[in-house]
Amino acid sequence: MNDWLGLHDFIYYRTREAANFLLEDTFLEASANDIAFFVFTLVTCLITFGGIMGSMFMILWIERKFYARVNDRRGATTALRSLWVGENGVTAGEWWNMVPFGLGKPIGAINGWLNKVAGNSGHTHEMVNRVGNRSWYGVTIFPGFFQNLADGMKFLIKEHMVPNRADKVIFELAPFLVISSTIMILGMVPLSSGIYGANPELSVLFAFAIFGIAPLGVFFAGWSSNNKYTLLGGIRSAAQLTAYEIPLLLSILGVCIMAGSFNFLEIIHFQHSSGTWLFFLMPLGAVLFLVSMIAEVERIPFDMPEAEAELVEGWWTEYGGMRFGLLFAAEYMRVYAASILFAHFFMGGWHAPFAGTIGSIPYLGAAWLAIPGVIWTLLKAWFIFTVVFVWARTALPRIRTDQILEFGWRMLLPLAVLQVAIAIVYRLYFFDAGAISDTIAGGWAWDLTIQGFTIPWGLPIVTTLFWAGLFWVLMKDENIEENEERMYHIRTMTPAGTHTAGKE
Amino acid sequence: MTEMGTTVTKEQNAEAAKAAADNLNARFSDAGVSTDVVAHKGGMKYDFVRITCSPDQWIGVAKHLKHELGVNHCAMVTGTHYPSGDDGRGWEVAYHMHRWPITNVKAHTMIVHEGEKLKGDDIPMEFEIFIPLPAGDSPSVPSIQDLWEGADWNEKETWDLVGIDFEGHVNMHRVLNPHDSPVGFHPLQRQHKIRYHDYNEMYDDPQGFGRKPVDEGRVK
Amino acid sequence: MAEMWITMGPQHPMTHGLWTLRVKVDGETVTDTEAELGYIHRGVEKICEARDFTQITPYCDRLCYVSAMTWAHSYIMAAEDLLEAEVPERAEYIRLMAAEVQRLASHLMWLGAFGPDIGNLTLMTWCLRDREMFLDLLQELGGSRMHYNYPRVGGVKRDIPIGWADRMKAKVKLFENRINEYEMLLDESTIWLVRLQGVGYATAEDQLNAGVTGPNIRAAGVNTDARWTNPYSVYDQVDWEPAVEKPTSVKGADCYDRYRVRMEEMRQSCRMLLDAIEKIPGGANTHYQPGDEMILTKAPTRAPEGATGFSTYECTRGVSNFYIQGGGDGRGKNPYRLSIRSPMFITIPYVAKTMIGYKIADIPAIMGSFDPCIGETDR
Repeated sequence: MNDWLGLHDFIYYRTREAANFLLEDTFLEASANDIAFFVFTLVTCLITFGGIMGSMFMILWIERKFYARVNDRRGATTALRSLWVGENGVTAGEWWNMVPFGLGKPIGAINGWLNKVAGNSGHTHEMVNRVGNRSWYGVTIFPGFFQNLADGMKFLIKEHMVPNRADKVIFELAPFLVISSTIMILGMVPLSSGIYGANPELSVLFAFAIFGIAPLGVFFAGWSSNNKYTLLGGIRSAAQLTAYEIPLLLSILGVCIMAGSFNFLEIIHFQHSSGTWLFFLMPLGAVLFLVSMIAEVERIPFDMPEAEAELVEGWWTEYGGMRFGLLFAAEYMRVYAASILFAHFFMGGWHAPFAGTIGSIPYLGAAWLAIPGVIWTLLKAWFIFTVVFVWARTALPRIRTDQILEFGWRMLLPLAVLQVAIAIVYRLYFFDAGAISDTIAGGWAWDLTIQGFTIPWGLPIVTTLFWAGLFWVLMKDENIEENEERMYHIRTMTPAGTHTAGKE
Repeated sequence: MTEMGTTVTKEQNAEAAKAAADNLNARFSDAGVSTDVVAHKGGMKYDFVRITCSPDQWIGVAKHLKHELGVNHCAMVTGTHYPSGDDGRGWEVAYHMHRWPITNVKAHTMIVHEGEKLKGDDIPMEFEIFIPLPAGDSPSVPSIQDLWEGADWNEKETWDLVGIDFEGHVNMHRVLNPHDSPVGFHPLQRQHKIRYHDYNEMYDDPQGFGRKPVDEGRVK
Repeated sequence: MAEMWITMGPQHPMTHGLWTLRVKVDGETVTDTEAELGYIHRGVEKICEARDFTQITPYCDRLCYVSAMTWAHSYIMAAEDLLEAEVPERAEYIRLMAAEVQRLASHLMWLGAFGPDIGNLTLMTWCLRDREMFLDLLQELGGSRMHYNYPRVGGVKRDIPIGWADRMKAKVKLFENRINEYEMLLDESTIWLVRLQGVGYATAEDQLNAGVTGPNIRAAGVNTDARWTNPYSVYDQVDWEPAVEKPTSVKGADCYDRYRVRMEEMRQSCRMLLDAIEKIPGGANTHYQPGDEMILTKAPTRAPEGATGFSTYECTRGVSNFYIQGGGDGRGKNPYRLSIRSPMFITIPYVAKTMIGYKIADIPAIMGSFDPCIGETDR
């Protein structure tokens, strides 16, 4: 099911026409189509890269604001609280009173109740005001949005220093490896069925082959700076990225096996036409992908290579000016690429969720389906970014390098292999190729038939419930009495908040 | 503490101080080591044990303190320089030590002492040991580095700042002064005066009441 | 594989102050360490020989700047021992409350620096946010947020302002809920536990022999606290218990135990504050003028030659001692010798030894869990 906004074909045909029209009767007539192709590729690449880089400001802005909310820099303890508590009694105004027919009254009631249950009163008021419980100031569009642009420009005017005894060639080369490999991926990754830079048949394979060049650049940077800290950071990074490439690639292999293809467009098309997002068919693979991606892009909790407390920026330490800016941008681009990839592999790409169901509601359905696919892709990517990448960063500490490596090799790798095996089994025995559909509503290829009783979408439902149940079981605390020595262990002596000295 | 675990009482403390002093006197008084029970004059006026001995007896006293009386914490080593040593005392090293009831516990257990229930050698006690040294250029005291590890850096600091040598101290080096300080430079000796520069000099006498006519035109 | 020496510091985000830790590493494992202190040695002991007893108090604030009230209190106790001064009971209560508020602020600063060391950057903002509340309380007493110059020989400089008691109670009650929030963020995070448990073992006897005291020993299972073993001020009349944690191993306390002890100490401080404000003689909402008998007695200002005084005090980081000899300049107005024992001066070399055998990534965890403050180390 292709998205209605097919810029790719549109530009292709228009450039051909334009080239043929413009170059008629000139000496370039014979190669008009080739010139058209060149122009067309240029334009589509610009659109894709421009779209992704432009929307990357959204990523940076989300990170800053969401992070700040959790950190309580703008807002009270539970970040949402500032929405109903104002500053010194000043709130957004009782706008609900102005909604006609008294329809706003329930909102007013909810606001009042929230203030009673979780508001400020008495001394709490002045205290939390003192420590930063400020409400939303004024009405500006996306306050703080262009801060990141300014930050980027700042890097341009900073000094570029090369350490005295650094290996100059490699030192200069390393950032380019990292940033260029990151950007090249963006050429393969489609924003919708009609907006992409290139679409070779094995685009997933190519994208991840390029993705894997970055560890080399990181290692070069760490080594060439002639600095013990960067060396440590570079080596840690090389080890970590290598370790997590494998579960990453295996989880993607699982996706490709399920979808039967190494092409982005076909994987997304498969999700739609077989009736379910791959997230529900392979939740284990999705989680593995996310964890491996967080490790690959070196974000907290896996940012040991650049751990500020020990290594003061690790392998980036010696870089200044725009090289640092590029590395910094490369990190965020990789995070963004990871989010978009997750949206494509596991969340159905550019297809609207519940396209068939909602699509059949009279007017709402048409509106729902009229939203261009690129918007869906971006929304899903931003959602995953916020909920997984930023939230994990705010709440979790760093894991130690040897623990990271142990985790990657000994726990993720077997699980990834397991996931591939499950994917093979599902595709061979439970997939009904006849129920693939090309309509808006999609198909029901994952029905589960047990003893002649067919459960529609049975396999996704059963799979999700199984893994969710397993997760819940594993989350319960183990028996405290065992294990005298607490090695890497995962339980507290007492539940939070009830420890009293002398009383146990 | 009103509910659980109470403080050490004055009676316990007095009794423990007396017991420690008697023990030391019985052992060392004929060697010339004097031990007294002295009371703090501020705060809660608790007693502590004050010992005065000479450098030769110091190791013996120290070992007795550690092994017989259970002194387990060497808190402070202070060196003082008395250039005008009237009573023959040119330097003095003061040791401050504590005895606390501390034992290693098994895993997943803890010891909750209740002050009033402590007895005998478990009662916490402070010990103050003065070692007066004759005037001269090379004051020296035996090192107790191997008895209490806490004395290690304390002795380094005392040598660094005051210049008292500790015989038998392994790996003596500067700790607070820079490593390349001149040999023999020990700032807390009295011949080094505090020097002021520029504005600091005015702090001591901001309105110039102590100036004399000869000081005309000088900052200080 | 070749071993190499890495120098951490003196400028380094981890070191919590200005000192150098040189570690010899074999890959990622630490095989040897060397601590170098003395970068901010300001010569306080020498300076104090030229100051009189009231002038020394501000210097003591600046010893450990994160925990100024407790250091000033420790010094004042030694000075009162030397000068044979009496202290009115109300002043003792006020000093106790000031010290406990300071302990809360100091532990929050510790946690706010410890979290980012382990990687949890959220903690820094949260802890500093709550520390603001307590700094405001101390500002009302002492005039500034950090160096208060508050106790005097014979009492305190000025009484608690009207309304301080209510503000303090409200803030402490709010804070008690916030501690639960911190524990929720940390104790239920596998990564936090995995980083701190099993790292940095230290037994109680070993530590005491090396001179380490305070919360670090209480984390190893013994409840020794100078506030009851060598009692001072009115700690015997206030409702509290020393916070102690069971070590999980015969090898001693790990970083997690030391973290738990300080969380519990914060709770105990809250408890002490709420109790002391009820029991304070003269009432919590009366305000006596500076110099009034209820808060300050006239103390002698000269100490004859031969007089000495010393104090054993439970500072936030361990036991601190001051030893003062009288008979200095100005016919005894100044001390002849003032000697300071800083718990951290002894602890840091000990911790440097503890780190051997662990990984580089454990260095901030171990060092942070012992709570270093270089101001008091270097004096």
